[in-house]
Amino acid sequence: MSDPQPLVLDTITGPDTLADIQQTLDRAWACHEVPEIVRLHMDLAAGEIGANIIEHSGDGQPVHMRMSIELTADTVRAVFTDDGHPAPMDLSRVQMPDEMSEYGRGLAIAFRVLDELSYRRDTEGNHWILVHSRT
Amino acid sequence: MSQFSTCTQPSGVVVVKPTGRLNMVAAPALRKELHTIVEGGQTRVAVDLSAVDFIDSSGLGALISGLKVARQAGGDLRIAAPTRQVIAVLELTNLNRVLRAHPDAGTAFDE
Repeated sequence: MSDPQPLVLDTITGPDTLADIQQTLDRAWACHEVPEIVRLHMDLAAGEIGANIIEHSGDGQPVHMRMSIELTADTVRAVFTDDGHPAPMDLSRVQMPDEMSEYGRGLAIAFRVLDELSYRRDTEGNHWILVHSRT
Repeated sequence: MSQFSTCTQPSGVVVVKPTGRLNMVAAPALRKELHTIVEGGQTRVAVDLSAVDFIDSSGLGALISGLKVARQAGGDLRIAAPTRQVIAVLELTNLNRVLRAHPDAGTAFDE
């Protein structure tokens, strides 16, 4: 089964990028039966990774970002690629900050709600892979 | 994009009501508004979350920032009427411990 529209966002990051990410996810949810809690988790995680790219990959400057949503029988995957700087972090050390901390929850939230979160860097740039089961 | 209205109750409690998505785009304005209210001398702030359909780490950060500045001034910040998405995010970040949800912003400071 093919989607009526490809579930891909290919953009230069800017003020509308987070809304564009959500619109792309909403298209996926409109085409596929996915439980509410899975949608909630993916909306949240994709927003956090997208915000991280917008804020950090270009040091505040726009970067080329591509997000694709892939649904299989068992999983929902979101793959982000951008041509910005390497992300200076170690996912194995991500943890929720102190309750009164104002910053630093984004990656920890994504890590907590997803079944898999991976990051790698190659000659094309940064690649984030977000995976959540469909149940 | 999130926007918010603000009104002061006879009790002196200021109710702030954001709407829409409290994310990286909207959170800075909420943070600034909460600081402005407290720095203006009104240290009891209730944030009505009934019209917020999405919150992320930036939105949470703005609420925590407001909570800290209000408490430092001798007051408090309380949240009310969170939607399902907001409740879920508060729980998974454990922030429901410091931002306990009240049913209604108008009575958030009554107990």
